[in-house]
Amino acid sequence: MTNATLANDARILDRIIRFVPHVVLLGLLIGAWELGARTGLITSIMIPRPSAIGGAIVKLYVTEGTIWRHFFVTLTEAVVGFAIGASVAIGLAVASSLSEVFKRYVIPYAIVLNVTPGIALTPVVIAWFGYGMGSKMALAAILCFFPIFVNTLTGLVQVDEDREDLFTSLGASRAQIFAKLRVPSALPLMFAGLKIGLTTALIGAVVAEFAQATDGVGVLMSRFSFQLDMASSIATLLSMTVIGLMLFYTMEFLDDRIVFWRRESRRAAASRAAARTWSGQAGK
Amino acid sequence: MKDQIMAPDTVAADIVVSGRGVGKTFADGSVVALKNADFGIKRGSFVSLVGPSGCGKSTLLRLVSGLIAPSSGAVTVHGTPVTGPRRDISMMFQKATLLEWRTALDNVLLPTEIAGTPTQADRNRAMDLLKLVGLGDFAFSFPAQLSGGMQQRVALARLLQTGADILLLDEPFGALDEFTRERLNTELMRIVAEVGATTLFVTHNISEAIFLADQVFVMTSRPGQVAKIVDVDLDRPRPLSIQTSPAFNALVADVRETLGAV
Repeated sequence: MTNATLANDARILDRIIRFVPHVVLLGLLIGAWELGARTGLITSIMIPRPSAIGGAIVKLYVTEGTIWRHFFVTLTEAVVGFAIGASVAIGLAVASSLSEVFKRYVIPYAIVLNVTPGIALTPVVIAWFGYGMGSKMALAAILCFFPIFVNTLTGLVQVDEDREDLFTSLGASRAQIFAKLRVPSALPLMFAGLKIGLTTALIGAVVAEFAQATDGVGVLMSRFSFQLDMASSIATLLSMTVIGLMLFYTMEFLDDRIVFWRRESRRAAASRAAARTWSGQAGK
Repeated sequence: MKDQIMAPDTVAADIVVSGRGVGKTFADGSVVALKNADFGIKRGSFVSLVGPSGCGKSTLLRLVSGLIAPSSGAVTVHGTPVTGPRRDISMMFQKATLLEWRTALDNVLLPTEIAGTPTQADRNRAMDLLKLVGLGDFAFSFPAQLSGGMQQRVALARLLQTGADILLLDEPFGALDEFTRERLNTELMRIVAEVGATTLFVTHNISEAIFLADQVFVMTSRPGQVAKIVDVDLDRPRPLSIQTSPAFNALVADVRETLGAV
C-alpha cells in the first residue's frame, strides 16, 4: 500500500520534472517575442505583443465573452459535418468490402473526390447550402470523407490470409467472418482515418466560414484581421486550436478504449477484468 | 496391394482418412502441385508429411481439410468424401493466427463460438485445455503478452477445443527456435496420444518428421507426389535421445535416400 503510493508519487514527480523544460522553453520564446516587440525589433501592428494577445484573450473569453457563441457554432459545424462524412465513409467502405462489384463502381468517384482539392469546392458548397451552418457542415463532411473511407476499406479488406483460412476451416459464415474477424482487424486503421478526418473536418468548417458566413470563429477572425486588430485575431485563432485539441483527444480516448489491445496498460486492465468475470462465473 | 493381408472390413473401420488418385493443379493446369496421391491413414495414428518446398505437402493437407478441392481423385474422411470444411477436422497453421483482441481463453473458445453459443461447460473445457498445454496461468493474457511458443500453445488448445478427431498441423512450430520446438513436439506427442486423435503433421525437417510419427509420407517435388511411405516402428513414449539411436538413423537415411533419389 505505502510502497504503491510511493511509486505513484515518484511517477508524478517524474512527470512534473520532465514537464519543466517545456514550460521554460515556451516562457523564453514568449519573453523574447515580447522583448522584440517592445524594443521595436518586431512591428507590433502586424505581429502583436504577447501581452496584447493576453489582453485580447481575457477580453474575448472572460470579460466580454464574445467568442463563445462563435466557438460553439464552429464546434457544432465541425462535429456534425464529421459525423455525416464519417457515417457515409464507413457505410460505403463496409459496402465496398462486402461486394467486389460495388467497390469497382465506388472507388473511381472516391479517387476523383480525393484528387480534386476539396477546399476549391467552397463556393459551390456555399451556393448549394447557403450562408448558414449547412454549407460549413457540408464542406467539413466532404473534406473528412476520403481518409476515413480509404482507411476503413483497407482495414476491412486487408485481413491476414491464415486467419481467414482458420475461420473457413472452422466453418464460419460470411457474417461471422465479418463480425468476428474483419471488423476488429479494421478498427486500428479506421481510427487512424477518423483522427485525420476530424482534423480535416475542422479545416472544412473554418475555410467555409472564411469564405462566407455570419457566425463562427472563422468569421470573427477575418473580421478582426480586416480591422487590423491582430491581437484579437490571434486570440481567436487560439480557439480553433482548442477545438482541434478537444476533438483530437476525444477520438484518442475512444481509440484507447475501443482498440484497447494495442496499449500495454489497457491490455493489463482488460486482462484483470476478464479474470474477475471468470471468478464471478465460477463462484455461481 | 499392400492392404491385401487385412480383411476388407477391418480396413474400412481402421482407415479414417484416405486418398485415391488425388491430384491438384493450379493456374489453369500449368502448375501441378500434387499428382496422383494414394494413401490411407489409420485411426489414432500420427503421420508426418516431409519434403522440400513445393512438394505439395501443404496442398495435400489443405485438400484433406476441405479448404481446397482436388482437381482429380477424392479424399475420404470417415467414409464420406471431403467437399468442404467439416467439424471432425481441425487445422493449425505455422503462424499462431490468434486474434489479438481476445484473451487466450477467448481465443480457445473461438471454434465453439462459431459453432454456437458457448456454455459454462465449454468455457471450463477451454480452461482445462489451456492447463493441458501448460498455460493455465495465462488464460486471461492477450496474445501480445505471450511469447511465440506460448502463442502456439494457445493455438494448440484451440485446435483441441473443436473436438475434432482429425488434426492437421501445417509446420506448427516452424517459426520457433530449436529448443522451444523440441519441447512443444514432445508435448504434442503426449497430448495427441491423450486425446486419441489422428494427426497429419507437415514439416520439412526429417528428424522431426520421424521422431513424431508412426508413418512418414516422403514427398518429392516437380510434380509433387508421395514418393514413399516409411513406417516408424519405434516404441512410445520416445525420449529426445532416441534421435541418436541406430534405428532412428537408419530411418533418417531411408527418408534422405528417397528425397535425394529424385
